[in-house]
Amino acid sequence: MSKEITQTTYQVPIGPIHPALKEPVMFKFDIDGEKIIDVDVELGHVHRAIEWTGMRRNPIQIIYLAERICGICSFVHPLAFCRAVENACEIDVPERADYIRVVHGELERICSHLLWAGVAAHEIGFDTVLFLTWEIREKALDLTEYLTGNRVTKAILTIGGVRRDIKEEHHAKINETLAFLKEGYKKLAHAFLDDKTVMMRSQGCGILTYEDALRLCAVGPTTRASGVKKDVRVDQPYTAYSDFDIDYTTPDKLTGEVNGDVYDRIITRLLEVKQSIEIMEKAIDQMPAGDIVSEPKIPKLLNYIKKTAGEGVGRDEAPRGEVIHYVKFDGENENPYTWKVRASTYANILPWIPMLKGNQIADIPIVAASTDPCMSCTNRVAVVNNANNKKYMLSKEQLHKLSIMKTRRLMR
Amino acid sequence: MSAKKTTKKKEEKKGEILPPEEIVKYFKDEFKTKIKSAEIKRRATGAKKKEFVNIWMRIDKSIFKDFIKHLCNLTYPHLAVVSGNDLGKTIELVYNFSIYFGKHLQEISLNVGVELPRNKPEIETICDYIPGALITEREKQEMLGIKVIGIPDSRRLFLPEDFPDNVYPWRKDEKTRKEIEKLYKNLHEGVKKK
Amino acid sequence: MAKGFPKSFKKALWVYHCNSGSCNGCDIEIIAALCPRYDVERFGIKLVGTPRHADVLLITGPVTRQQADRVKRVYEQMPDPKVVIAVGNCGNTGDVFYESYNLVGPIQDVLPVDIHVIGCPPRPENIIHAVAKAWTKLETLEAKK
Repeated sequence: MSKEITQTTYQVPIGPIHPALKEPVMFKFDIDGEKIIDVDVELGHVHRAIEWTGMRRNPIQIIYLAERICGICSFVHPLAFCRAVENACEIDVPERADYIRVVHGELERICSHLLWAGVAAHEIGFDTVLFLTWEIREKALDLTEYLTGNRVTKAILTIGGVRRDIKEEHHAKINETLAFLKEGYKKLAHAFLDDKTVMMRSQGCGILTYEDALRLCAVGPTTRASGVKKDVRVDQPYTAYSDFDIDYTTPDKLTGEVNGDVYDRIITRLLEVKQSIEIMEKAIDQMPAGDIVSEPKIPKLLNYIKKTAGEGVGRDEAPRGEVIHYVKFDGENENPYTWKVRASTYANILPWIPMLKGNQIADIPIVAASTDPCMSCTNRVAVVNNANNKKYMLSKEQLHKLSIMKTRRLMR
Repeated sequence: MSAKKTTKKKEEKKGEILPPEEIVKYFKDEFKTKIKSAEIKRRATGAKKKEFVNIWMRIDKSIFKDFIKHLCNLTYPHLAVVSGNDLGKTIELVYNFSIYFGKHLQEISLNVGVELPRNKPEIETICDYIPGALITEREKQEMLGIKVIGIPDSRRLFLPEDFPDNVYPWRKDEKTRKEIEKLYKNLHEGVKKK
Repeated sequence: MAKGFPKSFKKALWVYHCNSGSCNGCDIEIIAALCPRYDVERFGIKLVGTPRHADVLLITGPVTRQQADRVKRVYEQMPDPKVVIAVGNCGNTGDVFYESYNLVGPIQDVLPVDIHVIGCPPRPENIIHAVAKAWTKLETLEAKK
């Protein structure tokens, strides 16, 4: 990374934040003409000091804090935390709870990938596909609301199990939604994978090689699209995934080859939606009877945690990749001594650099969105032109327009 | 003769999957007493009660870089994150690796803890073996105040530019607590007043 | 529309959205309000890309230190008359983030807020209702001019 990138502290307002508006992130590019030579990323705009806050609260309160780390991954963060506590304090989870956790996890994965598909379509310039995918997503959100009570932050987890059961009477609605989602998947596959413009825009663009993905410790669909087989559900037994026969989703399952470009990432995510629907069906069929939580009385649970010393790690497969929580208890307080969170996007930041180098400015939105970052809103982009050393800013709307113009050019 | 022996050993190790006890033995053979403790924890999950394995090791700071090299020779690891604990007299860093990904249900989580003395918390970087460690090492520098020797990029990551220097939010000593109190704000108080 | 709202509005309402450090739950519900099921565009409400064209500012999130300046700048760039809507519990009371060393406070400490929408996240119907209320307030402000 060249150290000549000068720091900019421009006092210009926040750029447009249209769909795909997540946390603001600052990108800095070195460009020559239209090509990108070097990239730098600045984070920290959403630093809410969550880990510091969490160390002052008891584990049950931390579950609700962990839910709000990210609005879309609002199931995986509490799940990783609960598993870390269960591993640290050796609390067993009943089998039925494990299966219910699988159902909710996969439902969230479907909602998240559909959201991403809409965002990617918007970045390419197909707003109609955005509305189509988000309309399908609404049905999945209806099911979430039916099972948990809320569309986004679900509050369904507790240490040692889940809070709400999935009963026989719920099965009818679940099956109806899954049938609708299967139809929706076919429409999506047709809209994305059979469309020439999408292929032209996304093939050969934003490539991440196998070696880079391995060495930079990338996670999730970003790394699977480059051929690296990393998926916590298949690698390590966690909750009930080990009972099903799941395989890694890599693009060669559909096309037979692995290129590591944006098109491969689109394929990986769409195949995962299909896989999630199948896993949900199996989990509902094979759900064993039993308790849903190992210790229903919370004061007793907290008392037990207070007396146990230990450390534990909880790993999960979020829609974006691996999430890991580390927890340490010292045996005297019920508040954890240390709580460390690593969301999946932070492992996918370094891969942005090799992905963006050598591409055009108009490709920035689609490449950045293809990794599905939980911060896909670049609030400002500072651009340094090497040729005559001028510095200028490109806001997100200008980048978006450039991206759409390129699509229109290719469509002719 | 010993050089031939070690290369033969390396080739054997690279392809196969070792059970957790063998992995611990592999490190203990090389580093002997510098490995302070090694614990293997197994927990079962799901209806079929398949087990997942966590290995917890505590090693001495002097062999840290060689340990990482030895690990890369065994199999290229995935670094999930580096967690940190402020233990009073020492600051402990826990490197959470996972190995043998890519093979069905065989992955093992390897967690390695290194203690650093509080008055001189320095550790070597592992970015030359695992470039993906850059982000998490930068975060530990600003949150715990450790110094990572040889890090390619040592700027702040999450804290704002105007955050005071030498204040490390995750440390638990009195001075840090007072500094943070100055910046601390309780949002509920503002709302209750009105 | 609820009772008391005029039968027709004089112009279309342009909305600018700003994220001051939220978890994105509220932002997703704002975008869901644009989608065919809730379809806020049938009322003429449109999301614009720059605060200079906007009438209404939708802010989410507890304001982090890095974002405080920018949020104020966005507010100053909007032309009068303008309405500020604070969406979500974080912006209104702090919710679970009520104590931290990097947060500058509920949005009303940074900007004058006209309408508070609570919920974590608030449903799209609530957000549309809030924007409709903002409309009537704007028309009152314009009438006063």
